Amino acid sequence: MPPVKWPLRNRRPMVELSLVSPKKKRRRRLVADTGGGSDQAPFELVLLDSDCQYTDVAIEGQVQLSGAFVGWFNVYSMIVRISALGFEDSVLVAGVPKVPIGFDGIACFRFLNRFRYGNFGDRNHFGLAK
Amino acid sequence: MEANGSIRTMNRRLAQKVKREGKENPKSPYANRYVGIANGKVIVIAKTLGEMMKALRNSEPDSAKCIGVDLVGDYDQVYEV
Repeated sequence: MPPVKWPLRNRRPMVELSLVSPKKKRRRRLVADTGGGSDQAPFELVLLDSDCQYTDVAIEGQVQLSGAFVGWFNVYSMIVRISALGFEDSVLVAGVPKVPIGFDGIACFRFLNRFRYGNFGDRNHFGLAK
Repeated sequence: MEANGSIRTMNRRLAQKVKREGKENPKSPYANRYVGIANGKVIVIAKTLGEMMKALRNSEPDSAKCIGVDLVGDYDQVYEV
């Protein structure tokens, strides 16, 4: 399957995905941050708390973040879809009160690492491939 | 609303108990698993988050009456974002 590529946004790598809830599908643009979290972090995305109200299920406990976000944050399970990749799965999301300007949240390393990722030879785009 | 509140409290208490047991005892059936709870009962012990969510959705469509416990992830670390 060829990679799905998105143009850089504010000159930063971006991935676009849908949050799937029983009522609506919501498209979100996330900054792709391979330095966000780790491959063992108990979250794959960071989204606004307000987005997490469409969550499938809350997860017991909180995760401690540092850096751009400092403190303890709730974790949720949400269904995420990238149609062009044929990807749909439940992922763990940390809910935060604010996100990077121009984006709806952060796609962290554990999420990006599910795929092959990079610019695939095009410096003005960032993409994912299975 | 009040009924939902009481279910949430029951779920939360059970989730805390499951989490404690799964963390303290590596031989516990909950250790290194995702545990789905609905209406104050353990519904599923799963190897993957997706498996847990599927079983929870089939058992209780109202997500407000459900809670998940993640005993796979390490919640004791601090993660830089």
